[in-house]
Amino acid sequence: MGNRTEEDYNFVFKVVLIGESGVGKTNLLSRFTRNEFSHDSRTTIGVEFSTRTVMLGTAAIKAQIWDTAGLERYRAITSAYYRGAVGALLVFDLTKHQTYAVVERWLKELYDHAEATIVVMLVGNKSDLSQAREVPTEEARMFAENNGLLFLETSALDSTNVELAFETVLKEIFAKVSKQTQNSTRTNAITLGGAQAGQEPGPGEKRACCISL
Amino acid sequence: MGAPSRRESASDTAPLQRSQSLPHSVTVALGGTSDPSTLSSSALSEREASRLDKFKQLLAGPNTDLEELRKLSWSGIPKSVRPITWKLLSGYLPANVERRPATLQRKQKEYFAFIEHYYDSRHDDAHQDTYRQIHIDIPRMSPEALILQPKVTEIFERILFIWAIRHPASGYVQGINDLVTPFFVVFMCEHIEEEDVDAADVSRVPADVLRNVEADTYWCMSRLLDGIQDNYTFAQPGIQMKVKMLEELVSRIDEQVHRHLERHEVRYLQFAFRWMNNLLMREVPLHCTIRLWDTYQSEPEGFSHFHLYVCAAFLGRWRKEILEERDFQEDASVSMEDSLSDGAQELRASSKRTSWRKAFQARPLCAEC
Repeated sequence: MGNRTEEDYNFVFKVVLIGESGVGKTNLLSRFTRNEFSHDSRTTIGVEFSTRTVMLGTAAIKAQIWDTAGLERYRAITSAYYRGAVGALLVFDLTKHQTYAVVERWLKELYDHAEATIVVMLVGNKSDLSQAREVPTEEARMFAENNGLLFLETSALDSTNVELAFETVLKEIFAKVSKQTQNSTRTNAITLGGAQAGQEPGPGEKRACCISL
Repeated sequence: MGAPSRRESASDTAPLQRSQSLPHSVTVALGGTSDPSTLSSSALSEREASRLDKFKQLLAGPNTDLEELRKLSWSGIPKSVRPITWKLLSGYLPANVERRPATLQRKQKEYFAFIEHYYDSRHDDAHQDTYRQIHIDIPRMSPEALILQPKVTEIFERILFIWAIRHPASGYVQGINDLVTPFFVVFMCEHIEEEDVDAADVSRVPADVLRNVEADTYWCMSRLLDGIQDNYTFAQPGIQMKVKMLEELVSRIDEQVHRHLERHEVRYLQFAFRWMNNLLMREVPLHCTIRLWDTYQSEPEGFSHFHLYVCAAFLGRWRKEILEERDFQEDASVSMEDSLSDGAQELRASSKRTSWRKAFQARPLCAEC
């Protein structure tokens, strides 16, 4: 995936990062969008986001990644942020079983608030700490398969699979959007589907919240 | 430092809805000359020395006049009298000098009875989630040099755990942990030689002194939280309401910024949620927070309503940068926060703040809107 100038993009895909607090959501985001990692990152309060524009074939995709606080109390307020999300990375810490044990609860919440067609990847983060592993790869992989989720293990610290994780999710979303486009009569104005169907999207309308799969 | 402000009467508990006479030129520099970190005690200016004298006189009597103390504290409390002044302003310490030792003793005893009664339950099924969350959050706080000292970590864990299980309507919510720090740091200052608490080795402080600091911190933090608990109850209604009020306030005092944010689809909740949840502690350095809390504790509803005006002033401080920003889709929160922390040192709560409030009072703000 290559970088492009930020103004120039064909699609905006909103992707949310969810999972228990302390699993490394913020570092996955900063590794992907800024190639940075912080050992002492503060807890995320509320919602923050960052973007990166990547090329998929000839299409420029602006990935707008929303980072949410992991604490339960915040969920009522962050639920609004699921709106318009076309992708999600459900992150757990593979060295803390407790963060994996609650994945199902997160999944339920995600499907309660987001579109059913949302692309979801289960991400076991902190693979650099393999000696402290508490969640076997195969167990998580099986869970992902049974629930129709993509799956990868990553390390935001040493960068392993971070790029691949986001890229895979974005490609999957792109494939869905392209398929939808082929079914549509307007082949080059899909940008942002749904609400504006039938209208020519203006320059200001390339917004994540308008994408519908 | 401007002249000590003549603030409105303390009986005013609805600053958003009343019209009242306000000073025309209150200028308070946060982190300005009264700031302990920028001023060594040997370099006390004449003005500062006279302010300190006023505090000392006020505190010397058998009954402290709290109304006078609030007036004096509004524009900053000298470092040496800050611990006792905070305890008085929060209502923790009685105004009557004779009653103080017994009250302190009773409250400290009460706090340690809570510990004895509840703290062992932190590994029980009912409380282990709360404890785990506190336990993982504390190392992710600042200033690290202080927080990561094992004794300090333990104190914070106890304070937060006890508070959480005694307040089940909210329990522990991330952000509450930050609110312990200013009290702890201010109360510790009395007992360490270092100018900077960050650099202090807490393990050298006698155990009984630490116990008192811990209990005092717990009670003062509890009093603060009593006034803003709806910030942390389910769905955080206090924060939702305050963010809406901030939006309403900005739309009145700075339509240009408001429209700009609207046009670029920047939601107030995106940037102001944290301002409310952590009382701007993530945005300004600790010594600025401490100075700000001098004023908050002098105001009838400092941590709830007055904070709103400070947030509006804070946003106003960055209006030029905000108006120049064309693509908030990029990194609105990030770029704004970067500039916020860079410029935090220059934070000024100026006359603007009071004149805004005036404008606001003229047209009462509906809390529900």
